[in-house]
Amino acid sequence: MMIDVGNFALAGAMLVAAASALAAVHGAVNGVPAAVRLARWLLGGFLALISLSSAALIDALVHSNFQVAYVANYTERALPVGYKIAAFWAGQSGSLLLWAWLLGVVSTLAAVLWRRRQDAAYPWALATLAAVCAFFGALMLFAANPFVLSVRPVADGQGLNPLLQNSGMIAHPPVLFAGYAAFTVPFAALIGALMTGQKDDEWVQPVRRWVLAAWLLLGVGILLGANWAYTELGWGGYWAWDPVENASLLPWLTATGLIHSLVVQRRSGIFRGWNAGLIAGTFLLCIFGTYLTRSGVIQSVHAFEASSIGTFFLVFLGCGVLLSLGLIIWRRNLLKPAQPLDSLLSRDGAFLIANVLLTLIMVVTMVGTIFPIISRVMTSHPMEVKTNFYNTVVAPLAMVVVALMAVGPLLSGGRHAAADLRRRLMLPAAAAVAAVLVAVVAMAWREAWSVVTLAIVVLTVGAILQELIRGVRARMADSQENAATALLRLVDGNHRRYGAQMAHLGIAMLVAGVVGSSVFGQKHDLALTRGQEAEVAGLTFTLRDLNQTRHENYSAVEANLMVTQKDGRTAMLKPQVRYYDKFEQPASEVALDSTLRRDIYVTLAGWKDEGHSATFQVIVNPLVAWIWLGGLVVTLGGIFAMLPTLAVVPAVQPGGAGLDLAGNPQPSGGAAR
Amino acid sequence: MKSKLIIAGLILAATVSYLVYAGVSQGWVYYLEVDAYLAKPEYRGQTVRLCGRVGAQGLVRDAAGLTARFNLLGKTHEIPVVYHGVVPDMFKPGCEVVVEGKQDKAGVFQSTMMLTKCASKYETEDHAKRLGQRP
Repeated sequence: MMIDVGNFALAGAMLVAAASALAAVHGAVNGVPAAVRLARWLLGGFLALISLSSAALIDALVHSNFQVAYVANYTERALPVGYKIAAFWAGQSGSLLLWAWLLGVVSTLAAVLWRRRQDAAYPWALATLAAVCAFFGALMLFAANPFVLSVRPVADGQGLNPLLQNSGMIAHPPVLFAGYAAFTVPFAALIGALMTGQKDDEWVQPVRRWVLAAWLLLGVGILLGANWAYTELGWGGYWAWDPVENASLLPWLTATGLIHSLVVQRRSGIFRGWNAGLIAGTFLLCIFGTYLTRSGVIQSVHAFEASSIGTFFLVFLGCGVLLSLGLIIWRRNLLKPAQPLDSLLSRDGAFLIANVLLTLIMVVTMVGTIFPIISRVMTSHPMEVKTNFYNTVVAPLAMVVVALMAVGPLLSGGRHAAADLRRRLMLPAAAAVAAVLVAVVAMAWREAWSVVTLAIVVLTVGAILQELIRGVRARMADSQENAATALLRLVDGNHRRYGAQMAHLGIAMLVAGVVGSSVFGQKHDLALTRGQEAEVAGLTFTLRDLNQTRHENYSAVEANLMVTQKDGRTAMLKPQVRYYDKFEQPASEVALDSTLRRDIYVTLAGWKDEGHSATFQVIVNPLVAWIWLGGLVVTLGGIFAMLPTLAVVPAVQPGGAGLDLAGNPQPSGGAAR
Repeated sequence: MKSKLIIAGLILAATVSYLVYAGVSQGWVYYLEVDAYLAKPEYRGQTVRLCGRVGAQGLVRDAAGLTARFNLLGKTHEIPVVYHGVVPDMFKPGCEVVVEGKQDKAGVFQSTMMLTKCASKYETEDHAKRLGQRP
C-alpha cells in the first residue's frame, strides 16, 4: 500500500513540476500573473508529493518491508533504527530521492521568499527551478526508482555496508546534497536575470545569501565526508584525491570565488560576466560531479558500474551548458563592466586574482580527475594521475590563494592601496618573520611547506587581530565605551566583515591542520604480546588484552591498548575488528586519541595465538583536530555573516570611514588612517 | 591597465602550465587490466596500476594483517601479487581491486597500495546481485 503511494507520489511530483515549469513560462511570456501564482503553488505541490514519497520509503525502511528491493538490499531486521533511516541515502536511488526532496525544499523556499519581488525575472527563475525538479522526478521514475520490488521474497535483508554504519555517514550525504540543491537557486536567479535582460545589479543581492548558504552546506558536507573517511577507512588520512571527493570539491572552489566576486559586482558593477559564468558553472559542476561519479566513466574507490542514470545526467548537463552559454553570449552587452578595474593592487584586484586562481585550481583538479578519459582518447593507454600530481600542482596554487586571503583584507579600495597595505602589513609581517625564525633556528624545521604555512597563518591571524584591536580602540576613543562593549558593538555592527574575518581565521586553522598532518605525520607497525611494552614515536604502548564483545548486529574483537605519554598521561585505546552478521569480511574500527597537538590513530591489524599477541598500525598525526575546528569556525563565521545585527548600535562615524567588503560604511575604518 | 592585466595573465598561465607539466610528468601511472599488462613486456619495469579480481585459490593473508598474497585475475590470464600494508576491510576473493606497484625478477607483482572497489553507497543492481549470491 505505502509502496504504491510512494510510486504514485513520485509520478505525480514529476508531472506537477513539469506543469509548474510550463505555467511559469506561460506567465513570463504572456504576462499572466495568475499563471505565475499557479506555478508557485504547483512547485509547492512538488515538495508535498516528493515528501510523501520520501515518507513512504522511510516507512518501508523502518518497518523492514523487504518487498521493496531497496530495503532488502541496504537493511536488515537487526539494524538499529537510526541506521535504518540513514539507509535512505545508502544507495543510488534513495540518495537521489533525498536530493530531489532537498531540491523541493530550497525551490519552494526561494519561490515563497521572492514572491513579493514584483520583477519580470521571477517567473523565469520559477520556471528554471521547476524544470530542475521535473528532471529529478523523471530521473527517479525512469532510471533510479527506489520503489522497485524484490524479485523474490526474502526473510531478511542484506544489511547495511559496515563502512556506512558510522555516525559521519548519517550526516554527510544530506548536508552535501543540501549544498548541491541550494546552488540551483542562484542558477535560477541568473537565468531569470539574463532572460529578462536586467541592467542593474539589484538581482545579485538576494543571490549572495543563497550562494553563501550553499557554499557553507557544501563545505560542511565535504568535511563530514573527510571526517568519515578518517575515522572509518583506517588508512589514517582524510582526503585521497579520489574522483568522488574531487567531484564535490569542484563546485566548492568556484563558489568560494563567487562569494567574493558577487560582493564586488554589487558594489562596483564589475565582474558581471565572470559572475554569470561562475554561477552557471557552479551549478553545472554539481551536476557534472554527479554524472562523473555515478555513470561509471571514471574508476573510483567507490564502486560505480555503468548505469543509465549517467545518460540522463549527461543530457541534462548538455542542455544546461548550452542554455547558460547561449544566454550569456546573447546578453554579453549587459554583462560588460560598468567601469574598468582600477588596479591589480587593490581590493577588487585581489578578488580578481583569487577568483582566477580558484578557477584554475578547479580546472586542474578536473583535468586530474578525468585524466583517464583524456588519456584514453589521446593515447592508446589509459593513465591515472597519482596523488602527487595534485600535491605538485594544486598545493602551490592553493597556498597562493591562502596568502592572498591573509593580505587581501588589508587592501583598501582607493588609490592609496599600496601605501595603506605597506603600513597595515608592517606588524603582522614582522610577527610572521619572527615566527619563521624561531621555527627554523630554534626548532630546526626544514620542510618548506610547514615554514610557508606557518608564515601565512601568523600573517592571517596577526592581520585579523590588528584590525580588530584598532577598531576597538577607535570605538573606545570615540564613544567612551569599555573594551568589551566596544568589541561586541564593533563586531555586531558589521556582521559581514567580521563573519568573513572569522571564516578566514577558520581557513587558516584548517590549512595548519592539513599541512601539519601531511608533513609531520608518522606511521609505524607495532607487534606486541600481552603485557608487553613498546616505545613508538615517543609514546609507550602496552597491550593489556584482547577480548570479544557482542553487539546488535555484529561481534567484535577488541584490544585494550594503553598509551602513556612522556608526561605520564595515559589513555586506553580500543581498536576493534568487527564481524557483521551479514558481511563475511571483517571491518576494522579505528581507535583515536585526539588532542589539539596530535591524534594517535590506531588500527588493530591482526592477532595470533588466541589473542596473546597482536599487531597494530599506529599513526601519529599532528594537528588534525585543527581541521575539524577550523571547519567549525568557518561555518560559524558564515552563519554570523548571514545573521542580522543583533542589537541596535549607536553609530560611531569618525572622519573618512572606509567601506567594508560589502560596501557598507565601516565604523572603525577611520582610526587606521 | 589592460596591458598590466595581460602581462599578469601571461605570467599566471606560464606558471600554471609549468606546474601542470611538472605534476603530470612525475604524477601519472598506466592503468591497465591484467591481460593488457601481461601482453606487453615493455610494462615490466614500470610502476603501474593493475585492475582485476582477487582469485580465491592461493589467497594467503598473514595473520598479523599486514601482507596478502593472491592471484589477480584478468579475463584470460592471472598474475601473482604480494601486497604489503594494512589489508583494506573490503578485500576478499572475487572482489575487484586496483594495486599499484611493479613486477619483481621472479614475476611477482609487489605492491604497497591497494584500492578495493566493492564498498560503496552507490552500488548498482549488478553489485546487489553479487551480494545476493552469498551462501
